[in-house]
Amino acid sequence: MFSEKIEAMLEKVQKAPRYTGGEMNTKLKSWDETDLHFAFCFPDTYEVAMSHLGMKILYAVINQQPWSLCERVCMPWVDMMALMQEENVPLFSLENRRALNEFDVVGFTLQYEMSYTNILAMLKLGNIPLKNADRGQDDPIVVAGGPCAFNPEPLADFIDAFMVGDGEEQIVELNAVIRDWKKSGEPREACLKKLAAVRGVYVPSLYDVSYNEDGTIASFAPNCPEAPEKVVKAIVTDLDKAFFPTEIPVPYTEIIHDRIMLEIMRGCTRGCRFCEAGMLYRPVRERSLEHLVELAEKLEGATGYEEISLSSLSSGDYTCLPELIRELMKRLNEKRVSISLPSLRIDSVLKESLEETQKTRKTSLTFAPEAGTQRLRDVINKGVTEEDLIEKVNDAFQGGWSSVKLYFMMGLPTETYDDLDGIADLARKVVSAYFAVPKEQRAKGLRVTCSASVFVPKPFTPFQWEPQDTLDVVQGKQLHLRDALRKVKGVNFNYHESGLSFLEACFARGDRRMGQVLLSAFEKGCMLDGWTEYFKYDAWMDAFKECGIDPAFYAYRRREKDEILPWDFIDSGISKEFLWREKCKADRAEVTRDCRQGCNGCGLQRFKGVCSFCE
Amino acid sequence: MMAVFEKSERLRHIGHLDIMRSTQRALRRSGLPVSYSKGFNPHILITFASALSTGAVGKNEIMDVTLDSEVSPETFLSAMNAAMPPDMQLKSAKALDDKHPALMAMVQAAEYDLKLLDADTAAKCVAAIPAFLEQESIMAMRKTKSGIKECDIRPLLFELRGEGEHIYATMTLTEHMSCKPDMLVKALCDFAGCEVPRVLVTRNALLGHNEQGELTRLELL
Ligand code: SF4
Repeated sequence: MFSEKIEAMLEKVQKAPRYTGGEMNTKLKSWDETDLHFAFCFPDTYEVAMSHLGMKILYAVINQQPWSLCERVCMPWVDMMALMQEENVPLFSLENRRALNEFDVVGFTLQYEMSYTNILAMLKLGNIPLKNADRGQDDPIVVAGGPCAFNPEPLADFIDAFMVGDGEEQIVELNAVIRDWKKSGEPREACLKKLAAVRGVYVPSLYDVSYNEDGTIASFAPNCPEAPEKVVKAIVTDLDKAFFPTEIPVPYTEIIHDRIMLEIMRGCTRGCRFCEAGMLYRPVRERSLEHLVELAEKLEGATGYEEISLSSLSSGDYTCLPELIRELMKRLNEKRVSISLPSLRIDSVLKESLEETQKTRKTSLTFAPEAGTQRLRDVINKGVTEEDLIEKVNDAFQGGWSSVKLYFMMGLPTETYDDLDGIADLARKVVSAYFAVPKEQRAKGLRVTCSASVFVPKPFTPFQWEPQDTLDVVQGKQLHLRDALRKVKGVNFNYHESGLSFLEACFARGDRRMGQVLLSAFEKGCMLDGWTEYFKYDAWMDAFKECGIDPAFYAYRRREKDEILPWDFIDSGISKEFLWREKCKADRAEVTRDCRQGCNGCGLQRFKGVCSFCE
Repeated sequence: MMAVFEKSERLRHIGHLDIMRSTQRALRRSGLPVSYSKGFNPHILITFASALSTGAVGKNEIMDVTLDSEVSPETFLSAMNAAMPPDMQLKSAKALDDKHPALMAMVQAAEYDLKLLDADTAAKCVAAIPAFLEQESIMAMRKTKSGIKECDIRPLLFELRGEGEHIYATMTLTEHMSCKPDMLVKALCDFAGCEVPRVLVTRNALLGHNEQGELTRLELL
């Protein structure tokens, strides 16, 4: 219908391949022969979307069902958006170029709080009423999943149903409910109530909240019998039996992660106290070596990719990592596929695998000590020592690497200027480690990059009660660190836009009232907040003012132990008691062991047969 | 192995480098015994007779793939078509011997179908063609790396006719000299006294010289 107009628009935009579709392994199913049409919406650009593994899994799962079709929709770039508005072309899917509001289900993935304005932008471009209360019988059911769905409340006004937990089984069940409801002709509310019965599904309109005078939550409860008091996250117990696609789309243009991503396990046993993903994706579930090797070969054959990365939160912890790497090398080397380990943890990099990966390529090595002193690393339970780091860096320099990236966070609970100086110290030691390698043996051109992000306290972590550093404090710390690192030769320092982290903190632990702020900011033109050139801090602050909401309440306030937190009704598997225990240990700078050394009683042991380390 | 393939309308905005990379990945998927270059960063040995510009559809584009062992054209065709996306299918394949000259050097001209997406302009342009060709020289603007240069495209036009909304043109295309569709359309529109409309460019064929020096489709040589 709009195809002619779209063609004309594509001649004018900067990167037309973002919108053309037709990539290898994408599915062009018949619209008329399928009962349920699902639009998988990624609230970011094509290059980001297509680099995301979760999208590829769900895209394939939905298309695998004969009765359902899944098409992709990405956030258009500014130039395209302007043309769409000018020409009156609605947001459309990449496959059949259908308007967003023609779909039965419109599903967003929530990877990052600061993509929320993009969700509103996409709904609007797709001619779907922004607020769930304004949607009618023929409007799509708007759902959302992904890590940020664990605190869904800031989006409660906009999303019809949230999907909490592992999506690959849950999404099929959700779609089946919607398919059956469509046939029944019952009112929309009936569908929402049925969805509430699906494991891990949260329907915000079925819950009421009341507040205390001080702004904290007084009560949070379902307003109908169909809605469960606690929404328990969906868990896939056996990844070997879970669906994993081998025919994954291969874009024409270069994307961010232009390679095979093989999910070797889900979850992480380390228990870093700042890490939301580490808590949310518990317990650790590993795919078996045999299965992984089989998947890798099939993926290689179906994509033609030249590179494969082993993806998980902490790939170095995979039980038989050396065997896996050796086996993959054996099978994939002759096909000229290189293997990269993305999230190397400094205490799990095996010398051996370092030597083996180097055969293929020497990119820069990434280490994430996160904090500058041992004390602070103990507070956050990052079980990494300086000796570990220096040893691994040494190995790397001797092995011919010359480029190292170091990731830190600033503003962690209990942090002082000593901890910041510790970062500079560590950087200095890394530089010396390079110069300690004889000139003939080391690669030329040392490059050490130090990045310090601003800590954002996240729900379902032991720091969920903690205040974030105020902007003034953060800026003071950034300057201090910048000056300290200036004295270290050969080190580059990167730090982040602190206003963005402040907003991220507001949304991460926000409640329903943040929805007004979101809408108001969107109406003021906020969009693509993650792109520095489009981030409008002042417009956001105006939005807060207009709504009579104080951002400090969400970002800077220390919560009491017994406060009802906006996400308390979600059962992430981790108990609140465990998190509080961890918080108290953090206060005492006491570490907690890795789950592989023994169960720490996080709460998951309640579910039988789910965690393999607590038996 | 020389193969003729189509770059369909859906893919017209995919640039040449992306088409190359995608073809290389398809070759890897195909399981065919492709040859790799020697050296530090080995890549698949493949060349294209001519880069097709972004925005254009290609009906008979030509690639040349070096293989390590002998494969029949039929096997090549079916393996590749299973590995190529639906919008980039191969039409034919033919084994070339090692002494075959480089395809790129063989290309002399190309046949285009230029659809003018404005009926009025198209009619005016089609009507203007005979007089347009009467001119002794036709100056057109040519974009080069060093800026815009003027050049005479009259000697570069082998054939030019119009029908309905379509202009059919056969024009010089070599490594050193060529007349690009946008140059022709601009010159023709200027001559006919109208604005340049949106144009859908389709390259129908690549041409080389046969033994008699006549322009012939490259795949038939
Ligand atoms: S149940 Fe025990 S072993 Fe399993 S994730 Fe929780 S603390 Fe770790």
